[in-house]
Amino acid sequence: MNDEARLENLAKRLGAAAAERLDVATTARNVVERLREQPVRRALWLHQTWLRIAAALVIVLGGAVVASRLTPGRHPGVSAHAAHFVADDLGDLSAEELRAVLAAFDEMVGSNSVAVPEGSTDLRELDAHQLRAVLRSLEG
Amino acid sequence: MANPLPRTDAASDATLIAAWRDGDEQAAAELVGRHARPLARFLAGAGAPEADVDDLVQETFIRAFRSVDRFRGQCQFRTWLLTIGGNVLKDFGRRAARRKVLPLDDGVRDATGDPHEHAEASEAEALLAAGLQQLPRLQREVFLLRAQQGLEYEEIAAALATTPGAARVHYHHAVRRLKEIVA
Repeated sequence: MNDEARLENLAKRLGAAAAERLDVATTARNVVERLREQPVRRALWLHQTWLRIAAALVIVLGGAVVASRLTPGRHPGVSAHAAHFVADDLGDLSAEELRAVLAAFDEMVGSNSVAVPEGSTDLRELDAHQLRAVLRSLEG
Repeated sequence: MANPLPRTDAASDATLIAAWRDGDEQAAAELVGRHARPLARFLAGAGAPEADVDDLVQETFIRAFRSVDRFRGQCQFRTWLLTIGGNVLKDFGRRAARRKVLPLDDGVRDATGDPHEHAEASEAEALLAAGLQQLPRLQREVFLLRAQQGLEYEEIAAALATTPGAARVHYHHAVRRLKEIVA
């Protein structure tokens, strides 16, 4: 017998004792019992996940509305589009429509057309005059 | 729960899986009955501590039944199950390492098993078991699927999402290294 065949023979015996000791009927019963618990946990997980998704959507769409109001005329199609979306029930939005809103929001947030006064790193640090200047720059 | 389907011994795994998808718990139990022992052999061969084989078998079936929608008949159900068992064992090893009990690759089977069983095991088997722990996971699993479970390279490749040629290479690398250890 060559070395490879010997190895294969050894491998076939490996774990045989553990397999023999396994109480298959008990294992099957335990598995089924644990599976019965699964739908409850899964429903809970789904509920929590949907809540998180809904919260994220509200934040994103709310941001889109604010951004679209601050930039009239800059993205007329998009702002009208976003306002229209928000006016409707969220559940009516298709995946494509949601992607369009997210893309528009990303574009607005990423835009470098917002004139932040030199030296400022946080809009919360601005005084009323500076804030007005920022908002005017957003109007285009 | 759906009404259990009348079945014979000849009911295929596919039939049982379909019945389980429809909520037939008896179908799940029957699948466990068919595949639990080969799975236990695979897990023990791959380094599962003897005392934990039962739990790991259960965990593997739970994971498989919960994700059965991902099984599309790309390979036999048992082969798919064994690959899930490999993942379960890997996660078990990580948890053990975090708890700083014993890292899996240091041969937990030798430390936690029944000493009498080890005394009964042949020296060559013990060497092989230790040698398998020194192999990369993919080589170890390909070797066990081929040498212990008797699967064809095509079947192994389908289960591990690789090619039969790659599976063959992994197997031969494993054999070469194990020969050095066991010989």
